[in-house]
Amino acid sequence: MNNKKVFTEIFKNRVQAIAEEMANVVLRTGFTAFVKETGDFGTYLISKEGETFASPLDAGYNLSIGLPVKEIIALFDDWAEGDVVIFNDAYTTYGLATHLPDVYLMKPVIVDDQVVAFIMSFIHASDVGGRVPGSVSVTSYDIYQEGIRLAPVKLYKKGVLQKDIYDIFLNNCRIPEQNNGDINALMSGMYRGEERVKELIEKYGLEEFYEGVESVLSYAEDRVRNLIREFPDGKYEFWDYLDPDEDGYPIRIRCALEIKDGDVYLDFDGTDIQSRKAINMATMGQQGHYMIVPALIRYFRTIDHQIPWNSGMVRMVKNNLPSGSILNCEHPASVGARAATFIRVMDVITGALSTARPDALPAAGCGQACIISLSAVDRVSGKRKVGVIQPICGGSGARPMKDGVDGMDFAVGHMRNVPVESTEADMPVLVEHYGLRKDSYGHGRYRGGAGVELVFRNLSPDTIVSARNMERNEFQPWGRMGGTQASLALIYKNEGKEDQLQLHSLDEVRVQPGDTISFYSQGGGGYGDAFMRPASDVKRDCDNELLSVEAAKKFYGVCIKDGVVAEKETEEYRRNNAHDLPEFSFGDYRKNFEALWNDHRQLILTHALYSVPINFRGYVGNMLRKKIEEKVRKGEEVNASDVQQMISEINAGAALQQ
Amino acid sequence: MSEHKEQLRLGVDIGGTFTDLLLADRDGVVLTLKTPSVPKAPEQAVINGLTELKKRGIDLTDINVFIHGTTLAVNTLIERKGCRTALLVTKGFRDVLEMRRMRLENTIDLYGDKVLPLVPRQYVLEIDERITVDGDILQEMNLDGLDAQLEKLIADGVEAIGVAFLHAYKNPVHEKKIKEYIQQKYPQFYISVSSEIWPQQKEYERTLVTVINSYIGRKMKDYFEHLIVGCTSMGLKASVLSTMSNGGIMTAESAAQEPVRTLLSGPASGVIGATRIAQQIGIDKVITFDMGGTSADIAVINKTANYSTENKIGDFPVIIPAIDVTAIGAGGGSIAWLDDSGILKVGPQSAGADPGPVAYHRGGTEPALTDAYVCLGFMSKFQLLDGEMEIFPDEAAAALQKLADKLDLDVPEMAQSIVDVATANMYANFIPLMAKNGVDPREYALLAFGGAGPVHGFMLAREVGIRKIIVPATPGTLCALGSAFADLKQDYVFTTYKRMDEFAEGELTQVIDRLRSEGAAWIEHEAASGIELVSTSYEYSLDMRFVGQAFELKVMIPEDIFEDKEAIFERFHTLYKTLFGVEMKDAMVEIINVRVTAIGETKKGALRIRRDAAPQKSFEKRRIYFDHKYQEATVAPRFSLEIGKRYTGPAILTAYDTTIFIPPEFDYYCDEHMNIIGEMRDE
Repeated sequence: MNNKKVFTEIFKNRVQAIAEEMANVVLRTGFTAFVKETGDFGTYLISKEGETFASPLDAGYNLSIGLPVKEIIALFDDWAEGDVVIFNDAYTTYGLATHLPDVYLMKPVIVDDQVVAFIMSFIHASDVGGRVPGSVSVTSYDIYQEGIRLAPVKLYKKGVLQKDIYDIFLNNCRIPEQNNGDINALMSGMYRGEERVKELIEKYGLEEFYEGVESVLSYAEDRVRNLIREFPDGKYEFWDYLDPDEDGYPIRIRCALEIKDGDVYLDFDGTDIQSRKAINMATMGQQGHYMIVPALIRYFRTIDHQIPWNSGMVRMVKNNLPSGSILNCEHPASVGARAATFIRVMDVITGALSTARPDALPAAGCGQACIISLSAVDRVSGKRKVGVIQPICGGSGARPMKDGVDGMDFAVGHMRNVPVESTEADMPVLVEHYGLRKDSYGHGRYRGGAGVELVFRNLSPDTIVSARNMERNEFQPWGRMGGTQASLALIYKNEGKEDQLQLHSLDEVRVQPGDTISFYSQGGGGYGDAFMRPASDVKRDCDNELLSVEAAKKFYGVCIKDGVVAEKETEEYRRNNAHDLPEFSFGDYRKNFEALWNDHRQLILTHALYSVPINFRGYVGNMLRKKIEEKVRKGEEVNASDVQQMISEINAGAALQQ
Repeated sequence: MSEHKEQLRLGVDIGGTFTDLLLADRDGVVLTLKTPSVPKAPEQAVINGLTELKKRGIDLTDINVFIHGTTLAVNTLIERKGCRTALLVTKGFRDVLEMRRMRLENTIDLYGDKVLPLVPRQYVLEIDERITVDGDILQEMNLDGLDAQLEKLIADGVEAIGVAFLHAYKNPVHEKKIKEYIQQKYPQFYISVSSEIWPQQKEYERTLVTVINSYIGRKMKDYFEHLIVGCTSMGLKASVLSTMSNGGIMTAESAAQEPVRTLLSGPASGVIGATRIAQQIGIDKVITFDMGGTSADIAVINKTANYSTENKIGDFPVIIPAIDVTAIGAGGGSIAWLDDSGILKVGPQSAGADPGPVAYHRGGTEPALTDAYVCLGFMSKFQLLDGEMEIFPDEAAAALQKLADKLDLDVPEMAQSIVDVATANMYANFIPLMAKNGVDPREYALLAFGGAGPVHGFMLAREVGIRKIIVPATPGTLCALGSAFADLKQDYVFTTYKRMDEFAEGELTQVIDRLRSEGAAWIEHEAASGIELVSTSYEYSLDMRFVGQAFELKVMIPEDIFEDKEAIFERFHTLYKTLFGVEMKDAMVEIINVRVTAIGETKKGALRIRRDAAPQKSFEKRRIYFDHKYQEATVAPRFSLEIGKRYTGPAILTAYDTTIFIPPEFDYYCDEHMNIIGEMRDE
């Protein structure tokens, strides 16, 4: 038998292999484009206590560390060989499923009549019914519009398919054959995993197996705690926003990140209430939840590539997610398009971590990933069809030691684009331009990554264009340590033509043959003092035409004449034009918004709203904001009791009963 | 001249450390030899090898087939040592190399970077032209101002150009025109155009292979010219042939035009060599395991080697079909170390060939996997390269002792731990890879070669459930053997991207006929260099999918059903059902690509190894440490075994360029072709 330290490494490799093997079985046999192209599925080994002890890194979706499984395990007291439980509901799965397209399966591994572990998997089904094809629409305002809901139920009992249950599920989907194909793929992957775990137990014995599970979990935990101890103990506050909703107010996500003796506490007190849009996260307030922690674990893995990829990584993470907030919504809030919020949570935690360790974390990336899609009449069949033109991301934030990545951000690093040649073969469009966007990134000693431009001409009547999950049209990606904020997104219909129209979102825009849509996405924020950037690097960006000569002068003080850096002039300009180097550069929109809505007033408002019955909060909130603004404009400050008074007035006016 | 002249074939493989030569005649392998590679002038090692052949009495004019493989192309790409290259694209698509397919290599590394394009943005020129998806000209090509831009490129030191216009796979007219223009006016540029290199829809991938071709092309062209001059001056009469990534061969002249097709030729040759061995002993299902100093590679053979159109070379996806070879982990030079939690790790850092493991006494100080082999007793002092490469067990033990102290182990147990972790690492990559390819390793034999393959092969096999292991007679020169026994082979593609019911009567046949006649012309052209062919054949396949899906299946179709849509659908559907278990009889199907492979089977002799040692009756024993205990192992020179006689492990079989370690659970024997076959005993 091997020494314990040696066994840990061997066991880690064995269980990681099983998780990857399962994922590859799913990848090979999975049916829909979601499996093949976006890799939106996962396969996991779960301890009998509910911790994930292996999770794939190579295939599938990688950021699901922190899955809350314990409660689901406890739901059944008769787990038997051959059982498979299915579920997708966001409100009856204790924070495990967070939107309906993610269909989960779970089965026990049974040795000598004992449950020794679980195998779990999920797949993003392309459709689970509901109001719109694909089931996800940001405009759905309750979960009943988003598809069929399955609370955990046995799909297989002792190996026997419960056909009645399965039929109910499939009959509520628009693409039952495809979903059946994907579920079969998951089943194949899970059978393989079960077989392998049993082999492992046969090889090492049950006691060694349990020891191995605990050793890989605590190995991950130890390594993360070591990294956390590199942070000074303290409390680090940060917030960021999602774009204003239809009422004209942005949604704030606020986090106080506390580090103490190797533990992390994420307090989201002060985060705004849940939205009427489908951007809510149904975390059910679970600790170290997988929709909350990705920015943390991504940082840990950046610093230490050896950390085993399991939920030991979040054992030390505790969080407070106020019930009824956008990060812990209450039934029946809609949740389909939660990805937009999830990306902003990453920005917030990255910002808070950066406050503690400015030398280790990047500036903000583009902070969004939208899918530009088309509903158009197919020229061959004459029927309407829906297709993706292109997923559009933007640049990543500059790092403390290097530039950001052009055209791609880490938050959505797994996404793949569509070849233009395939887009034109599939959909009635002519793509005129697809590439990087000049002068879009934030400047600094290290610059952000460049944003993306896409211009296409529609060729078919009554085509509907939409861009799901588009964000950061108002709040710019922030710069860090003197680096500047990046540009905002811009959208035009018929840019450069007589009837040019600037659009502020792309929820649903109708276009006719010959109309063009131009889409310009954000770059990433800059890092450090732009005057410290070597002139040669600035010149290279100019040579590559990602930076204009004017911007080189304005932001970097680099004077380029006839393609050559004027050294002396540059030096002089840099010397004579001292400039501010703020810790964070957020841009004008946020500055203007916070001039009135500072942290104090936002906190008072948010806290007060939680005392209002949940279904009145939207209405009361809007009225309150107007009253507070009125008061502030008169030069008066507001306090908590003022606000309670205002709420009483609003209630009386609207005859709302508390 | 004498009658044996008709049949001398020379295979050469230029590797990082050694250049291998293998000479075969009608009756089998005549000799193999290794000579140090000369990285600065790779052709020099070939010349040195030829000189050595002469010394051994070989008349070079007797050689009529000379096939050679080199890592020059792949190294030029990976080390980014190609020439300064420019790219011409359709207006509006300057960033085709920057945008790639988006996905980041490592999505959870905040300090990670995307691949740096081979052509910086400033050398990407947009040409005013546009072809539509149907192949119609929407915008005629306008070359105003091109001259000034090209002059500027020349002034900046650009030596090569790639051209990739949108939808050029459908209508190459603009690419052809601009190529002619540049060749005529600026012959100094090495130029490649996408419609000639690989006319498949998907602009990033097509552009990339075109750019790679130009980027490495200049250097490869020079290299082949030097090589041909050098070989001719040595008196070699045979024309020079080059191995290809698809396992086939082509003339050096063609390779200089399309070097992108040779990128993976090194590993491909090894797999072709392995395929020949598998055919020789009549086994269809084989997994090859090629382990050297820095990495361990595997490939799957089902009668013929598995191919992939999703190979990655360095940072780049290459869509031209190539034998599917994947690295699964560490080599013999991989370093063992402890992380700061005290957990034992092996690799990814490697001592490589230089300085190499501590036991080689060439400056290595960190314990490597090979040092663990030495400490377990697998290798003795004068065992390798006839004693020319001395082994220093005490130094290996001292290096392991440092780790052992920290883990509170003794040296043998430390060595065992290193080997176990290395095996677990390989397992962790091997098993998911098999799942991805739909391969159940228990149905396969493992064919181990390379310097360390025969040492670690049995241990890996045991772990992944493989019960039969083959170690060929020439495990150190299998790539050269694969070269010497390769066929002419070229792949062709045409993107149709159409629903099956949109194909007119005779349309598919027409496409296939065109590709086949391109193939026929190619084979005729290549064979004119003097290669003797036994036969010419063609393979046809379609990339098919249900309408709206984002992935295709490759469906092989026989010659007689090109116009039988029902039969084609049936073949697709059968394959689909096997893979996905789903029936979709009513759904519409589309054909994305049509593929034809042209194969010219070369005339080859027998694959037989002559042995120079007489069989021995008894062998010495050595005490080794394995599976946590001391055991007595048989030690025998591999060519001294009696043919067909079964022996019992544990054993260590020694050879010129490798060591074969056979664990106790295995029986082994030497077959009539001098392969060592190991079989796990039934429990």
